[in-house]
Amino acid sequence: MMVLRRKIGEAIRINDDIRIVIQDIQGGHSVRFAIDAPANVAVHRLEVYSIIEQENRAANQGDALTWLKGGK
Amino acid sequence: MGQVMESKEVAEQQEFIFPQGLAGFGDAHRFGFIYEGKGDMICMQSLDTPEAAFILTPWDEQRLGAKPELSAEQKGCLHLTDDAKQDCPIMWMLVLNPFADREWVTANVRAPIALHVNAGRGIQCIRHDASLALRYRWMPQPSTV
Repeated sequence: MMVLRRKIGEAIRINDDIRIVIQDIQGGHSVRFAIDAPANVAVHRLEVYSIIEQENRAANQGDALTWLKGGK
Repeated sequence: MGQVMESKEVAEQQEFIFPQGLAGFGDAHRFGFIYEGKGDMICMQSLDTPEAAFILTPWDEQRLGAKPELSAEQKGCLHLTDDAKQDCPIMWMLVLNPFADREWVTANVRAPIALHVNAGRGIQCIRHDASLALRYRWMPQPSTV
């Protein structure tokens, strides 16, 4: 994993189209980012994304079409 | 043949592009719909990842309240302009989970699907409000009725 040191107002560029700016650091333990990314890039808090990912997989663990047809 | 949902209709042959994929299925960008004559439930099948198929049902305002609001980024992803908003309403759908509970088919209220029918684009809108149900009891399992 890459680790970079940045100050408030400084930015990180990922590829040509993603820009992350450090906006604020509160109490030495909480960092506020501004993220500029194309519409096709999903940006979420990891813990929230992980919950939805898990639930999507759970909803996909059986055969949806077979269930709709009345099977299991 | 299509399935009427709200006042719009999704044609089975219509392909929807999900630019962001779905959480856990990031490579699934193209989806089609298959209606099996089961009320207002429809199967959303990935055309890229065959194992990715989900059962969807329309958002029910009577049970869940108003439909969610789209952020500017989400509108951009759906190719939804403010000018087009009136003519091209968004169809809000819930992902059903019939496999997690023996007695209930549950609905994921925390991450509904928004479909812009005219543009053929979709997005799963992940909401950050932790009080929203991941497994809202939507309806009893058909086998228990």
